[in-house]
Amino acid sequence: MPANISPSIPSPRSVADKSDKSALLAAIRMALQVESSAVRHNTQSFNRGRYAATSAIPDYETLKDKARAIKEDSLARLPELLAALEASVSRNGGHFHLAPTAADASRYVAEVCREAGVRLVVKGKSMTSEEIGLNRALDALGIQVVETDLAEFILQVADEQPSHIIAPAIHYSRERITALFKRSFRTDLPLATGEELTAFARGRLREKFLQADAGITGANFIAADSGTLVLVESEANIRMASLLPPLHIAIAGVEKIVPSRKDFGPFLELLAASATGQPMTSYTSVISPPLKAAPVLAEGDAPPRQFHLVLVDNGRLNLGQDECLREALYCIRCGACLNSCSNFQTVGGHAFGGETYSGGIGGTWESATRGLQNARFSELCTGCSRCVPQCPVRIDIPWLNTVLRQRLGQLDVGKRPAPNPLAPSADSGASLSRLFFARYDLLAKWGSRFPKFSNWIGQFAPARVLLERLFDVDRRRHLPLFASPTLVEASRQLRLDQPQARKDGSSRKSVLFADVFTNYGSISRGLAALRVLRALGVDVVVSNVVADGRATLSQGLIAAAARQAERTVALLRPYLKDGRDIIVVEPSVLAMFHHDYRHLLKSGPAGELLQTLRERSFEATEYVGMVLQENQINAAEVFPALRHPLGTKLFYHSHCQQKTMGCAAPTELLLRAAGFDVVTSQVECCGMAGSFGYKKDFYELSLAVAEDLFAQVRKAESGGRRILVASGTSCQEQLQAGLGRPVLHPLELLGETLRQAVVASVP
Amino acid sequence: MLAPLFERFSRAAIDAGATVEQIPRSSTALASAIRRVTGEARRIAFANAIDLPSDPFEECRRAPNVVTARSRIELSSLDAGITEAFAGIARTGSVCVSVDHGEAGTISLLARMHIAVLASETIIERPADLFRPDCLGAKGLHRNFVFITGPSATADMGPLVRGVHGPHRLHLIVLA
Repeated sequence: MPANISPSIPSPRSVADKSDKSALLAAIRMALQVESSAVRHNTQSFNRGRYAATSAIPDYETLKDKARAIKEDSLARLPELLAALEASVSRNGGHFHLAPTAADASRYVAEVCREAGVRLVVKGKSMTSEEIGLNRALDALGIQVVETDLAEFILQVADEQPSHIIAPAIHYSRERITALFKRSFRTDLPLATGEELTAFARGRLREKFLQADAGITGANFIAADSGTLVLVESEANIRMASLLPPLHIAIAGVEKIVPSRKDFGPFLELLAASATGQPMTSYTSVISPPLKAAPVLAEGDAPPRQFHLVLVDNGRLNLGQDECLREALYCIRCGACLNSCSNFQTVGGHAFGGETYSGGIGGTWESATRGLQNARFSELCTGCSRCVPQCPVRIDIPWLNTVLRQRLGQLDVGKRPAPNPLAPSADSGASLSRLFFARYDLLAKWGSRFPKFSNWIGQFAPARVLLERLFDVDRRRHLPLFASPTLVEASRQLRLDQPQARKDGSSRKSVLFADVFTNYGSISRGLAALRVLRALGVDVVVSNVVADGRATLSQGLIAAAARQAERTVALLRPYLKDGRDIIVVEPSVLAMFHHDYRHLLKSGPAGELLQTLRERSFEATEYVGMVLQENQINAAEVFPALRHPLGTKLFYHSHCQQKTMGCAAPTELLLRAAGFDVVTSQVECCGMAGSFGYKKDFYELSLAVAEDLFAQVRKAESGGRRILVASGTSCQEQLQAGLGRPVLHPLELLGETLRQAVVASVP
Repeated sequence: MLAPLFERFSRAAIDAGATVEQIPRSSTALASAIRRVTGEARRIAFANAIDLPSDPFEECRRAPNVVTARSRIELSSLDAGITEAFAGIARTGSVCVSVDHGEAGTISLLARMHIAVLASETIIERPADLFRPDCLGAKGLHRNFVFITGPSATADMGPLVRGVHGPHRLHLIVLA
């Protein structure tokens, strides 16, 4: 059903400005009702294509390093490169303009068009031109602007803002495009296939290309030393716009500059592979305008070619000064972070996006170009980290969104956002709801002291209403139960907390980190890990419980997370000194050690220990696999799958951050080696993402995200039930909520098949 | 071991939706290859070659369906446009066509089918190689060119559609 038929559903335009939270929530509802199925289909298709294309690049990781280094170098030398580019463009015979603001950029372009007597402009897709509101400025002068990228053409007809940075009409299904064209162009043509729709648009636009007085394009990369533009596209509309009319205007952000043509190399391969999953798109123009060949349109005397390069600052130079957010400027607009994001796949950029920029990277861009309050949609970043390994310039997008979260909090309490996220006062804007979720450790500590009472409260309807009102905890969610005894207490009772000297078995010494989620919540995962490791002869002890900072960081309480990180490292230091490996059950906690602590512990003794911590900390199941391998123990003999009372068929869902750290595959390998018949989920994230799915505002979205996962389980079970296995606590909760069945941790599952006698006999 | 450059170039170009053939290096072979591909085409046009030795299209130009007038309407209604390509890229199946010499830019853009002719020794490994100073010998890199990888295409109208504003078909002729 088209969005504009039902009055109860807001139009995309009306929710483009999300500076107010109610617009964000309305946009999510609209997207779930109208746009979700097309967005899901299209983004997931891009996502699969990218995995295939990037895996075909043999030196993919090296190329990313090169690309990142070029961007770092270029941005560090920006003033110098801008001067060089200005000289190059004028040497080539073109005009250069550096526009400080969006308004100035639009005004300049409008003025150039007016002076040249332009009546008709053909325009290629350019997010920068969307950002500066160029079409409005040209309209005001009576100049007709025709969007010629087919997606932008659709949006122009529909009067909507882009919902994706490379596929702006990704929220349109073929059926909805047919309906839109039939309605808008009053045609009886069937327009029932992609070919028919394309032919229809081609016919209308070819005429415009041949008549246009000016072509306006963006630019993907610009070489300072030669004034060369790289224009990447597939439809040939950008070639038309840059080649046919006598006047070519290119508009781009200042961050598109690289030193020279030879720096294009890595990007040419990375951009298309990361964006559409192609080795290269149909056309990549490498031109240093103005061209010399006469414009085609001219009949009789050809007017001389004219070229203007308009580089837009509009907040970018300020962004370059922002210690935390600066790296967003390296973005090459491939959209990989959008396509690999489960939330984005479910709602698209009309909900997870602003006026122009969308997805994980979009928050920082909207914040830099239109103001922090326009970055509110960045709340849809759950920090799952699936975008991180996909980014061709290695931007830590979850970190950017965490910083925005902290700053938005400060903005909301009327404070000027602090530039240093580690300053204690920087957390002061956190709402009651954020504090509640951030300090899960305190809640759990007290909850598990009085488990009967606290678990009763968790199911007591009036209490849930109160929790929802005060803290935004959705009353429909089952709350995880608090454990008593806790993992630390239980391991003491079972005397599992003491070193265990053994002559045979593994020579590894380790400590199981009692993370708050395992210690106060699902202690059976922790106990299973201890039992399995001990059986393998690993000398393993249990640490005290300490909040590692995951919960606080996820709520944007960065300063608090940093303090917790320091305490955690202090707790772990003696173990590392003692030669013990750190074993972590909860993947999101391990991700703190491997990934997030570098932002929190920049200097001091904790910072110095970070490298060691990263090298010597392991996900529990991955660790078991390592120990088996080192001691040449056959998994099928220690954990014979046939012994499991529930059978050998299972469905395994790995945790998002576990995938990012590369420790999902070892778990799958181990389960298969033990003899289990394993079907794995093919989703990026389950949608729960720690606290995200518990929040009232995001409950529906969280379950909508999980629909893919649930459908995959149902499909896998068409031939009979499978044991549900997941590594993350919140993934387990999500699966249980959707499928109504208990979910095991891989080590609980393996622990139930353990044949101690086999291990004991291994020399 | 990697397959020879031509084979990988050819496979990648076909994956991108192009068709590829390799022919002996003679103007007669080229003329008959072009006749074969253009078939019933009523209006075809050639862009002058500057990188290939001599004039490879000399024989082809005598065909009756070759148009030489160059009004915008005529250019826009070409059935086939034939240009040279100064390089091929094995990894991506792309060809590089200069867009600022004569009419190669517009002919390769406005015709329904684009036929690009390249010499086999100009096929290189990857796009980045092109920017090395020694890549194409003393001639150096063209100042204005385009990497062409398959025909024009879009996924904006739902399924992948080949043939949008630019050529609907791309045929590559490699001179052995």
